[in-house]
Amino acid sequence: MPTVTTDAIVLSDLLAEITLRQLPCGGWAALACSAQPAIEPSCYCTLALSSAVSTSRAERAFEFLLQSQNRNGSWPAFAGDDQEGAWVTALAVMTLRDLPAAIPARLKGFEWLMNFAGRESNWLWKWKFRTADRHVRFDPEKFGWPWIPDSVSWVVPTSFALLALKQLPCSCSGFEQAPFRIELGIEMLLDRACPGGGWNAGNGVVYGTPLAPHPDDTAIALLALTDHRQESVVQNGLQYLEHVAADLNAPWSLAWAILALAAHDQDTKLLQQRLACMPDLQAIEDTSTLALALLALDQERALLDLGVK
Amino acid sequence: MNLTRRDFLVGSAAVAAGASVSAPFFLPRHHVDRRPKRSRLAILHVEQYSQKIDEILAAGLRLFRIDVRAKRVVIKPNLVDYAPGDAINTHPLLVLAAAESFRRMGAKSVVVAEGPGHQRDTQLVLSQSGYDEYLQEEKIRFVDLNRDELIRTPLCASYTSMKYLWLPRTVLEADFLVSMPKIKTHHWSGVTLSMKNMFGVVPGTRYGWPKNILHWKGIQESILDICATVPVHFVIADGIVAMEGNGPLNGTSRRLCKILLADDPIAADTTSAHLMGLDPGRIVHIREGAKFIGNTAASLIDQVGESVVLPRVSFQVVPEFEHLRGHDSF
Repeated sequence: MPTVTTDAIVLSDLLAEITLRQLPCGGWAALACSAQPAIEPSCYCTLALSSAVSTSRAERAFEFLLQSQNRNGSWPAFAGDDQEGAWVTALAVMTLRDLPAAIPARLKGFEWLMNFAGRESNWLWKWKFRTADRHVRFDPEKFGWPWIPDSVSWVVPTSFALLALKQLPCSCSGFEQAPFRIELGIEMLLDRACPGGGWNAGNGVVYGTPLAPHPDDTAIALLALTDHRQESVVQNGLQYLEHVAADLNAPWSLAWAILALAAHDQDTKLLQQRLACMPDLQAIEDTSTLALALLALDQERALLDLGVK
Repeated sequence: MNLTRRDFLVGSAAVAAGASVSAPFFLPRHHVDRRPKRSRLAILHVEQYSQKIDEILAAGLRLFRIDVRAKRVVIKPNLVDYAPGDAINTHPLLVLAAAESFRRMGAKSVVVAEGPGHQRDTQLVLSQSGYDEYLQEEKIRFVDLNRDELIRTPLCASYTSMKYLWLPRTVLEADFLVSMPKIKTHHWSGVTLSMKNMFGVVPGTRYGWPKNILHWKGIQESILDICATVPVHFVIADGIVAMEGNGPLNGTSRRLCKILLADDPIAADTTSAHLMGLDPGRIVHIREGAKFIGNTAASLIDQVGESVVLPRVSFQVVPEFEHLRGHDSF
């Protein structure tokens, strides 16, 4: 059985590896072998680093994120991407939360998120989904956020957008619609759950067949729904995640499960120990997974960063 | 309710998208012609997934004039998600056998590459589907195409309104790209074979999970644009256990006991459709792809190995694709 000391060693190894993978521009690439900085891994790594290591590395990371912002207030998926924006905008505004110099950039990001919606927010698409295209069971009245512009809402981008918008200090000065979008997004998540509990990308039932949930999608949805734990859909999701987490052998899903279960006040000590014991954790090629493992082992701080606790 | 011009345009697009299951293309929209003068295809009978697949596949590959010496070989299996049984993903033993064969044939490097369309946790899919263990044992590198470096790539056809896609470096730099589909029906595209399998090269980090933008741009159209742009050099289709009905995830397994090899994806998908008892001439991306990607006419395909035997009962499909079943035109 690993000890707290072991966890501390693992944390320090992971931190060293993340530090090593930081690119000269201050960001991180999705894979260890790549040199193309991407926003998602950069956000997780920045969160993991920001209170743990010397400020110069964290400052470079923040600088990279600030310089990557598109003119329209959004963030691209990776450096060099098109400028119309992507779902990672929600992650970027959360990551920059404690940086006073980032306030204007964050406000622009929030504005963009407020105007970014799934296609089914348009009444004609609602009509299409009600009449001609009914193979996927969902209520098109309840929309959230898509991965990229001009597509429909999905569970993960909606969950991250909800987490980000909940960090808005108030709903005044241009953000009057925020409570409405948050409420609608929550309804959308509740509507898109799998019938047996939990969430996948967002298709609960297709052609009358219930689809299986995924642990990571479920965990991310549960993080966005911490204020709605009385809902039976949330309870079912928690039950599914608790059940599946016990046997998870993939660090990405296990790390998300730890964060979500902790956010819902479940004991995650055994799961953390299992994560810390995984062989060659720091050799994982996917940098986001590496950073998430670190965040899951330091869950209290991570949940604060995500605005969940 | 006021109808704005934007609403009207959006609504027209919605109606068009709903009616696109098998609409023909009246004008060619491709800028390349990759059709070989002749194509070669082999059907191999294989009862089950076992260590013998290695020998069977190696013998099958010898029926082709393949030269991968000093080439970077990229194997693209169909690795969607994990559920018990053998009907969803290309079986790892077959992928392993292919990798070993290409290594023995002198390839400079062999990597297995995929970007699962439903699961963000690629590692979970790899471990639960059995891939992880085999790949590690044989020291075969896996590249997660959902997270690979991306290159802005102009499309070589314009069936969708997309001018370009961001595509993974690993795929674009491959000297020899092998599509290894699972032979399955698909509730949005009718079938998912070697051409539809190429959806997996479209990166999730850029386009999301599932790769929904391709659905909005038209599935058949997207298949054509991708296959025009990313040439498939060889096909090894897993039809030992196939899938019918509500594929690609929730269909029923069906034993075909076949592996299909071809140096032309159109020839491969045409023949796979016949093996399923479906009419390839009614599958939009195969019919249209025959104009510029490969051959569908039997007179242009040199068939070795077993001959095509139509099944007594065609594969079950969802109601929208019922028109594909029960043909006799081969």
